[in-house]
Amino acid sequence: MPAAPSTTVPTSPALTSAEGMGIPSLEVRDLVKVFGGGGGPGRQPEVRAVDGITFSVDEGEFFGFLGPNGAGKTTAIKIVTTLLARTSGHVRVLGHDLDTEGSAIRRLIGYTGQSAGVDGELTGRENLALMGHLYHLPTPLIRQRVDELLEVLQLTDAADRVAYTYSGGMRRRLDLGSGLVHHPRLLFLDEPTTGLDPQTRNAVWEYLRRLHRDEGITIFLTTQYMEEADQLCERLAIIDHGKLVAAGTPAQLKAEVGADAVTIRLPHDASFEATQTRALTLVQRAPGVVEASRFDEGVVARAQNGGSVLIEILRILETERIPVNEVAVAHPTLDQVFLKHTGHAMRVEEVRPASRMGWANRRR
Amino acid sequence: MSIAVPSASQTARATATALPSASHGPLFLSDVVWVCYRSLKKLSRNPFLLMFTLIMPLIWLALFSQAFGTVFSKAIPEPYNYVAVLLPGIAVMTAIQSASQSGFAMVADIDSGFMDKFFVAPIRRTAVLVGKLLADAIRMAAQAGVVLVIAYVLSLALGWKIPFATGLPGDLLIMLMAAAFGVAFAGLSNTVALRTKNTESTMMVSFTLTFPLLFLSSAMLPLAALPAWIQTFSKINPVAYVATAARSLIVSGYNWTQIGQAFLAVAILGVLLNGLAVLAFRAQGR
Repeated sequence: MPAAPSTTVPTSPALTSAEGMGIPSLEVRDLVKVFGGGGGPGRQPEVRAVDGITFSVDEGEFFGFLGPNGAGKTTAIKIVTTLLARTSGHVRVLGHDLDTEGSAIRRLIGYTGQSAGVDGELTGRENLALMGHLYHLPTPLIRQRVDELLEVLQLTDAADRVAYTYSGGMRRRLDLGSGLVHHPRLLFLDEPTTGLDPQTRNAVWEYLRRLHRDEGITIFLTTQYMEEADQLCERLAIIDHGKLVAAGTPAQLKAEVGADAVTIRLPHDASFEATQTRALTLVQRAPGVVEASRFDEGVVARAQNGGSVLIEILRILETERIPVNEVAVAHPTLDQVFLKHTGHAMRVEEVRPASRMGWANRRR
Repeated sequence: MSIAVPSASQTARATATALPSASHGPLFLSDVVWVCYRSLKKLSRNPFLLMFTLIMPLIWLALFSQAFGTVFSKAIPEPYNYVAVLLPGIAVMTAIQSASQSGFAMVADIDSGFMDKFFVAPIRRTAVLVGKLLADAIRMAAQAGVVLVIAYVLSLALGWKIPFATGLPGDLLIMLMAAAFGVAFAGLSNTVALRTKNTESTMMVSFTLTFPLLFLSSAMLPLAALPAWIQTFSKINPVAYVATAARSLIVSGYNWTQIGQAFLAVAILGVLLNGLAVLAFRAQGR
């Protein structure tokens, strides 16, 4: 049962949240982060990791940053979680100022970084409890909350084993849990499924969906996977070279790159040519079809709403007694969106740079 | 399949928001204690490390007493065994060794991403540093204790003349001095660790300083037996003050001037090096 988005999605401009929704959970304006430059012996070329981005996330929203490695996703998320200082720009988190109310912000947000920040020498239960203590929750509540999280994360059986013995997926779930002990209102996830196998990835997605649906928690996620952004995010922004290049719901973004492709394959018999010509004429006239053309196996039509147009086309072809071998609808993908906005295809790198790879990850 | 959230969580949520947002006073102490608890728990999960932490001083004791003992007793006839002279030096040396490794845990936490967990929690960054140092102090005091206990057992078994002039209170004072010195010196390891984020550099910097500090002091031999230039250098070497004060506690008795000087030297070193560590810690992500 899919969750109905709890907020209405603004149509335009997509980068800022809908008006009249109260205080957004996250407000970012003209955020810039420059690394390197300056003087000194270790002088390095200046890198504008985040180059003037503006966006906001509504309360209860599942928002995502989609972009390749080095696009500035991690830098941006580290700035808004108070982990990294910014060069310039304006940031408010849950109505609090980043500079003067860092401590208040930290109390209200949860963060799960790219490398699984769990202590391998502590058990799952101890990892979670430690976080509870660092957020100053009363001990009985910590006990209760830890049991509850272990249950939800399906780690109860492994709760008293040291985290070294965990699989990559278990470690990732524990990492997620350690950011949730204090019931954050806003959860930041930096590439939560990078490096996970598809099955584990699906399990993490399912858990995130449930978390968002059942607890109404606002989630800001970064990802380099098109599918992940498409599956999870109600609204997303595409980031490349430190700049936001597009934003909107996955459907809006995909609609931008064009229509669905409806493919109709016709039987390859003696009358193929004649059938194809008749079919083409009929398909061109079908309601909703933007354009139609021949291809070597039949006819292909382009339409905004491929699914319902296909039904219409099939009905017409049946009435006209045109035999059909096979049909297919292909939707536009976020890959195409990315390509359109950046002029290059998005490359996903499974191997992370050495500097990001800690000993904890190597042991997986 | 939906997961029901018990109402207890709602209470937790309410409590979490009602609590003060900054960690001062008792909350700061609580943070320090939990960080320390975590470090000690990690140590206890490493039986191998724990064993070597305790075996290391024993090895130093055996090596040095055998290597220098005979020479020493021939050169400077004293009414007691060389081990009595050496004992405080070994306690300090052990503390230095542990202090040199203090930064390793920092590098490991930064690499694993665990440090970010500390940094996004509503605790003060200094609480993380102080908690780790507290765990180090407990470890180093325990190590010094082990050195003293082993020396005591050996003195009974082998008939070594070690006076233990101040008894148990003096021994506790030696443990405290060793731990205090270790914590002070750990500031260097942590500073390098935080600035370089590299285990090798962290090891090399402390390691390079360890032996000059030890041997250009009275830690291994009485000051009078050393060349004049070493005696001069030892005036600015905190190890010398700690070793001298600790040695008096073993062989003669309480010398409060020496003890005071030792703690003052440790305090100066500690403020200097840990001040740098705090700055390096605050600079993370800045």
